[in-house]
Amino acid sequence: MDVYDDEGALHRLVRVQAKDAKAIHQAATTGDLSLVDKLLITPEDDEFLQQQTRVALRHCGVIDPESIDDYLAHDGYQAIAKILSDGMSQEDVIQQIDIAGLRGRGGAGFSTAFKWRAARDAKGDRKYLICNADEGDPGAFMDRAVIEGDPHSLIEGMLIGAYSIGASEAIVYVRAEYPLAIVRLTKAIEDATARGYLGEHICGSDFSCTLRIKAGAGAFVCGEETALIESLEGKRGMPRLKPPFPAQAGYWLKPSNINNVETYANVAWIINHGGEAFAAMGTKDSKGTKVFALSGKIARGGLVEVPMGTTLRQVIFNIGGGIRDGKEFKAVQLGGPSGGCVPASKLDTVIDYNELAATGAIMGSGGMVVMDETTCMVSMARFFLDFTAKESCGKCVHCRLGTKRMLEILDRLVQGQGADGDIQKLEELCYAIKDGALCGLGQTAPNPVLTTIRYFRDELEAHITDKRCPAGECRELITYTIDEDACRGCTACARQCPVQAISGAPKQPHRIDPAACIKCGNCKTACRFNAVLVS
Amino acid sequence: MSITYTIDGVEVSAEPNDTILSSAAKAGIEIPTLCFDKRTAIYGACGVCLVEVEGVPKLLRACSAKPQEGYVVSTKTERVERARKTALELLLSDHTGDCRGPCKLNCPAMTDCQKYIGEIREGRYKDAVSTIYEAFPFPASIGRVCPHPCEDACRRQMVEEPISIAFLKAFAADKVEADGDPYVVQCEPSTGKHVAIVGGGPAGLTAAYFLRRYGHDVTIYDKQPKMGGMLRYGIPEYRLPKDVLDREIAIIQNAGAKMVNDVRLGEELDFDELRANNDAVLLAIGAWKSYNMRVPGEDLEGVIGGIEFLERLGLGERPVLGERVAVCGGGNTAMDCCRTAVRLGAKEVYVVYRRTRAEMPAADVEIEEAIEEGVTFKFLTNPIEFYGENGRLAGMRLQVMELGEPDASGRRRPVPVEGATEDIAIDNVLMAIGQGANCEGVADELLTQRGTIACDELTFRTAMDNVFAAGDVTNRGAGIAIQAIAEAQKAALCINNYLEGDEVRAHVPYFVEQELGPEDFEDRPKQKREQMPGLSPEERRNNFEPIYFGFTEEQAHREASRCLECGCHDYYDCRLIRFANQFEVAPERFAGEMHHREHMDVAREVIVHDPNKCVLCGLCYRMCDQEVGKTYLGLYNRGFSTVVNPMVPEEARTFCASCLKCVEACPTGAMRSVPAVSRCTCIV
Amino acid sequence: MNQQAPSDLTLIEPTLTKYADVPGSLIAILQATQDVYGYLPMDVMEHIAQRTNTPIATIVGVATFYAQFRLEPVGKYLIMLCQGTACHVNGSELISSAITDELGIEDGQTTEDGLFSLKHVACLGCCSLSPVMMINGKTYGSLTPDKARKVLRGLAEQDAKEGEQA
Repeated sequence: MDVYDDEGALHRLVRVQAKDAKAIHQAATTGDLSLVDKLLITPEDDEFLQQQTRVALRHCGVIDPESIDDYLAHDGYQAIAKILSDGMSQEDVIQQIDIAGLRGRGGAGFSTAFKWRAARDAKGDRKYLICNADEGDPGAFMDRAVIEGDPHSLIEGMLIGAYSIGASEAIVYVRAEYPLAIVRLTKAIEDATARGYLGEHICGSDFSCTLRIKAGAGAFVCGEETALIESLEGKRGMPRLKPPFPAQAGYWLKPSNINNVETYANVAWIINHGGEAFAAMGTKDSKGTKVFALSGKIARGGLVEVPMGTTLRQVIFNIGGGIRDGKEFKAVQLGGPSGGCVPASKLDTVIDYNELAATGAIMGSGGMVVMDETTCMVSMARFFLDFTAKESCGKCVHCRLGTKRMLEILDRLVQGQGADGDIQKLEELCYAIKDGALCGLGQTAPNPVLTTIRYFRDELEAHITDKRCPAGECRELITYTIDEDACRGCTACARQCPVQAISGAPKQPHRIDPAACIKCGNCKTACRFNAVLVS
Repeated sequence: MSITYTIDGVEVSAEPNDTILSSAAKAGIEIPTLCFDKRTAIYGACGVCLVEVEGVPKLLRACSAKPQEGYVVSTKTERVERARKTALELLLSDHTGDCRGPCKLNCPAMTDCQKYIGEIREGRYKDAVSTIYEAFPFPASIGRVCPHPCEDACRRQMVEEPISIAFLKAFAADKVEADGDPYVVQCEPSTGKHVAIVGGGPAGLTAAYFLRRYGHDVTIYDKQPKMGGMLRYGIPEYRLPKDVLDREIAIIQNAGAKMVNDVRLGEELDFDELRANNDAVLLAIGAWKSYNMRVPGEDLEGVIGGIEFLERLGLGERPVLGERVAVCGGGNTAMDCCRTAVRLGAKEVYVVYRRTRAEMPAADVEIEEAIEEGVTFKFLTNPIEFYGENGRLAGMRLQVMELGEPDASGRRRPVPVEGATEDIAIDNVLMAIGQGANCEGVADELLTQRGTIACDELTFRTAMDNVFAAGDVTNRGAGIAIQAIAEAQKAALCINNYLEGDEVRAHVPYFVEQELGPEDFEDRPKQKREQMPGLSPEERRNNFEPIYFGFTEEQAHREASRCLECGCHDYYDCRLIRFANQFEVAPERFAGEMHHREHMDVAREVIVHDPNKCVLCGLCYRMCDQEVGKTYLGLYNRGFSTVVNPMVPEEARTFCASCLKCVEACPTGAMRSVPAVSRCTCIV
Repeated sequence: MNQQAPSDLTLIEPTLTKYADVPGSLIAILQATQDVYGYLPMDVMEHIAQRTNTPIATIVGVATFYAQFRLEPVGKYLIMLCQGTACHVNGSELISSAITDELGIEDGQTTEDGLFSLKHVACLGCCSLSPVMMINGKTYGSLTPDKARKVLRGLAEQDAKEGEQA
């Protein structure tokens, strides 16, 4: 919350809760800012914000997402109004997007202008514009933030897209797990329709477009555009073969354009500020900004938006404040189940589609999960394979059975049952799946394993050869013990142990019976003296 | 407007609607696929049709990719082969069933037992005999004497008793003979190549038969006055009447195999000359020498080799034995010896065996019949000395044994009981503890240390370029007849490949197999196997008359109808197994969790879906949906748990019975229409 | 659960009136059905098949494809435990063990008293609060095994009180 004093100086308050309202009101009316001292932004938080450049998130946290008036007060619907009143042609609009160099923010990074032109040029009595808000990466929440924080900018971006390709119907495919996003977007659609920004003759022009929401029903693969279309048609979300691409034959086999939320959220800004302003940010091939959901073992997590060309190190250490609890940085996961883990040696990689792809990870939709020395990279690879195997639609052989077999190998590794040759077998399956899988989900499913093999082979080998988990995470490969010098005999651990494996008199050092221990970790969580050791 | 491009260097033209797959098919190039059928929309699931196109970074699915002018398509690059092979291996890692029944897989010659049993059940005896002839040319002989590994594997024993497979085989052959319609070998036109076969036993004759079928000129040379080898000179008349053997040899002779008897390698026959005068030589000279016991007194008069004893009988002699005869050994030769001794008039016949009955390698029925004929079995005894008077055997000293720890063969090792011996008075000993090869006249460079001929197990080639070997004489030595026959069958193929200039190696076929237990057959009604009618012990013990009469036709039908039909009904049309063999898959490396699911009635008692064989190509449900317009089938769950889900309304049963398009489209045996006959029995 | 009483088909009528003739509405109809019945009863799906003229095989195919749909009833409290990457890194496995330990149910199961069901779900999009679970629409973040147990005990007590009042 920003408070401006009588001299117009800005006082930014953070982590404001409902119970603080009274104090803030008093402070604002009396001018006694000491009343809200504890809410005033710290230099660290300020750094978190100052190092960001907000385009897609420009209104998030600034405006009331449920108020169309607030949006309008912040240049809302100016871009579409300008296009319609200035008589910009479809090509004029697409040209600005082209100049901006906007690429898809959902993962693959395809040129938005190219897709729009293809859909515009496709022949069809009806065309559709679709927003992919099926944010599937299990570590990303940018789309959710945009819809919940600034739904109208999505609507406006979609309107501009619909105008550019000649679509009169737009659909947002939202994850069912985001109920608040659906509520806010529904209200925004109602408000925009009431104000004439949606529906017939928008802004008094000949351009008409409706917008509706379709809720997904829980299937990661529906983030793949042809699977999404199947799902929109009420079917099992199994990908179609491409070609034909959706631009030729998409929803109900009509020309359709699909972009994700963040992509559309950039569009109105580009029209308002011009493509060149957008292109002024970023690198040669990657323009503008990118939103990341920074989470994991990070000191200050949350959504960050930075210009392309920022290094990973800047994002994690300058904005995110580095690793929490004073631990060592180990890796950062980018791109979720389709991406990979980038190690410390690659921290100076800049955020750029090609540069990130060269590491074996991908830009992805913006998940950025940071790991420290206690994260096991084999377990991490297993986690992602478990995810892709569960989310495989089951249509093509390579994905349905290939990911399953990879998961089984990784399962064995984390249980200490790995065998010589398992790494080669994994690699072989990785390349076969990349070559043989039908859709993007399957083709990229091996990436987390391939980056693990590339950067953390020694950790894989430790699991296979020494039956050891260097990070101390894999339950079958670790033992819990109590450091007798550190233990104060507070009995907290013994009380938390579900199998009564911890013995010891009060105020005396405790012991864990290794035969009875089920390695649940409760004792370690319970101990306030760091006396529970994992080896 | 058509375009042209190349596939593996062959120019192909394509119309605008063509895919790479469809245009290739028009040009006669088969690109393998499991999920494509032109009656349904392109699906792209199986990944077996992947091809590589120059300049295109990704592999393309030929079923959906449209060719472009000038495309250079390759289907045989390492990357394509690997991707296709992996797809097949992954599919097979979750595909269970029995391509072929355990009977066939356990037969060394891979005889298609299930097929001929079915043909016998249906009264198609000539077809049954033809089926057997696909594997080897002795249905009547082998049907009588084979220790039938097929029956050992037969799953019917999990219900009550195995199918009487061997006797059914003999029945079919005898029946067509009795009907005056014996099998006639169909030979390819002459190739002009000459093959010499040394040894006219089961191996040599089988090889001659197959080589004649391939169109080669064959001459068999044998040391004995008649062809047949051990079948004639090692197996007594009461088990295998020689007129039965004669008629089967005649069929081979009628197929054009030349037969030369009374010639011995190293004497009338010169090995080098044979090599020089023929394009290939096959050595199938067998194992005719009984092993010695290596105990004192073996040179006493009255100690005879079991094989030599049977050979003399086969030559028409009547060897004179004393009243008390001991046979050493526990195999089938030992049984032939003791039962022959009974028939020759010996009053007391002993079988001396160092382990117990459970460990005896002889067929159980042989032991049973020997006991019926009055033979005394002395188990857990081992001869340590033969003693005599004036050079003539008078008795033997036996070491009493007990069973210790299992040895390498898994059988418990017999160990001597300290100080326990027993003496028995005997007039003759027949040594039947094993037999070895006699390779006189064969070049030393071809021999193993054990004195057998060394040959490669996949190519049957010896150290000399055009010399092959098969049967008892090779590598590990003597086995049962069907093993020698199996080797000869494969060796003939290798010789044919060699003569045609192809890769010689016999391909080891890949089959999907599954393990089932008695619990899988609990619902089967029990029906005991048919008893073979024959002579009573009293009637048979003092003559060499054949002891079995053979099944009657009714018996054969009843017996054949007991078959559980384990092997997949779709084997010959199954695309999965065809491609699996084409790409020489090794799916074991991907072994993991498999779907074990109950069979599902698609339309009750009309169509059955076996999810264990399903490869989720989607053809059944797409056919039902797109071609038939019914959508009685769909998919259930997702990912690894996906299954085809039949939801056929009860009233649609009759329709399904006449449509069957799902069954027909299925590339594997996952969809099966229940034959009308069985359907009736189901309803009853 | 084998002998289900027939479902009240009138409850779904408003949804069918609205969507029966709108192509591509199957998922929306099933979502509404689950909102009404708590799960997708077979007899209701058969009814939908008739009303929308959609083969039942297609409907069941869709119902079993998506993680959201349930073919069995769930407990009063549906615990959706996030399986996202951030939650994994921050110890969601320990939370899962704690819930299983507390309630004696694993992923996909319901307690015998019908009070709790546990379902592992894909990312809830609350990564900053990881590890996270959502129970009947309410999000509980920054969980520890202990905190998770307390939440469950609280809900059980609340249910007991409601029972007394009733």
